[in-house]
Amino acid sequence: MPTTLEPTREVTPDVDDVAATDRPWIVIVWNDPVNLMSYVTFVFQKLFGFSLEKATELMMDVHEKGKAVVARASREEAEMHVYRLHEHSLWATMEQDR
Amino acid sequence: MTAERRGDVAMGERSFVPPVRRVEGGWAMSFDDDERDLLVRLMGELRGLLASERSSALLDPLFPTVYRDDAAKEAEYQRLMRDELVSSRLAAIDTVLATVGPGGPAVIDEEQTMAFMQAINAVRIVLGSMLEIDEDDDELDDTPEHHLYTFLSWVLEWTVRALSPNR
Repeated sequence: MPTTLEPTREVTPDVDDVAATDRPWIVIVWNDPVNLMSYVTFVFQKLFGFSLEKATELMMDVHEKGKAVVARASREEAEMHVYRLHEHSLWATMEQDR
Repeated sequence: MTAERRGDVAMGERSFVPPVRRVEGGWAMSFDDDERDLLVRLMGELRGLLASERSSALLDPLFPTVYRDDAAKEAEYQRLMRDELVSSRLAAIDTVLATVGPGGPAVIDEEQTMAFMQAINAVRIVLGSMLEIDEDDDELDDTPEHHLYTFLSWVLEWTVRALSPNR
């Protein structure tokens, strides 16, 4: 941060920081060997309001590809999604979208 | 993930009442006394693990890491949310004990059925992790614990069916 310029000048936020803050967060559900496919599909429908088709598609992604992004949201919202997924014992994590 | 293999057992020959089913005004559970005792016992064991001061590695699958690449955010998240998740799990167990245990109601509501589903699955997750269940295994080992795991799968599958809007 330059300090030798105008002392009264307002500090402009670093452009990268702004971009980093604005980038959405993604909620990822990972495959595990125990959860039932029917259960995972149902939880996706229940928590996110997905249709049976959409929930099944995401469940199959988790099952076959090892993971699926189930939500994009602000950090706060993403944390809430992760929490609710954990309440249902699904293996959920979150990270900032690239 | 695994597909439940015993959910589609033929039901024609004998009268078969699912362990959890939709009924007028809500949902009903059908367990004999031994099954009720078993469920109550399992809930008690999970409650003991959750309430223990010492964190057991058995619980790890129930409390996954949220921020895999950011230790500071992870510590902050767990500081704020771990206790809440423990409380939520204990509340679900209490609901199961109040509904499955002696003198439970004949008909339960959706919230109670959801709590039952969550608690049964939590026990199943812990047991599955202990047994090192592998989703590629076509057949489970023939031990009492594996039979218990299969029983929980069967109960869970019917609970999901009873709750699902599309069936």
